[in-house]
Amino acid sequence: MHKPKDIFIEGAIPPAMIADSIGKHQTKTEIGAHSIFLGQVRKDVINEQQVAAIEYTTYKDMALEKMHEIREEIFAKYPLTCMHIYHSLGIVNAGEICLFVFTSSAHRKEAIDACEEVVNRIKAELPVWGKEIFENESYQWKQNK
Amino acid sequence: MGLSILAFGQVAEITGTTFSFDHVVDTNALKLALEKAFPALQHVRYTIAVDKNTIIANTLLNENAVVALLPPFSGG
Repeated sequence: MHKPKDIFIEGAIPPAMIADSIGKHQTKTEIGAHSIFLGQVRKDVINEQQVAAIEYTTYKDMALEKMHEIREEIFAKYPLTCMHIYHSLGIVNAGEICLFVFTSSAHRKEAIDACEEVVNRIKAELPVWGKEIFENESYQWKQNK
Repeated sequence: MGLSILAFGQVAEITGTTFSFDHVVDTNALKLALEKAFPALQHVRYTIAVDKNTIIANTLLNENAVVALLPPFSGG
């Protein structure tokens, strides 16, 4: 098996990277619809403490294998032209982007449905952990809802 | 030769991120042995992955198995 594509980037996902990624699709003229999900670190207030950042860690070998499997299944299920996924590792401050899922297809329904499903599967199935770091430097382990 | 184990997230705070453990025959035995060595694990939720697959039932462990202790995922 070839090495699965890396989806992880260190730190926040820069907005300019998202813009560049959109721009790169102008040559793929069979596309009629893009769907983009952006996860942003929310400044939750828990026990009167504000979340300053989330620190992400992963079991990378397992996560990339799992992501490869999800990718194959999504492409088998939906007629997508392409799909791009980036997830942050390390510290991402409140207000910054930590997840970028980008699906493209000829028509909107497939792109939207595939994007939604990929986001749900990333949250449920990828071995990634978020540690919510509060402004007073205490922390708690994030729980996905 | 012991079994090498990777731990992540909240579990790693208790056990350290990598450690080796006397060989145990299967994952049920491993769980018991881990919770004896690290009593705090009894209060933490985690699943076991063997060779990068999350196990759902008791699984035999060979000497070369890659075992990982995974707390509930919270990516995204």
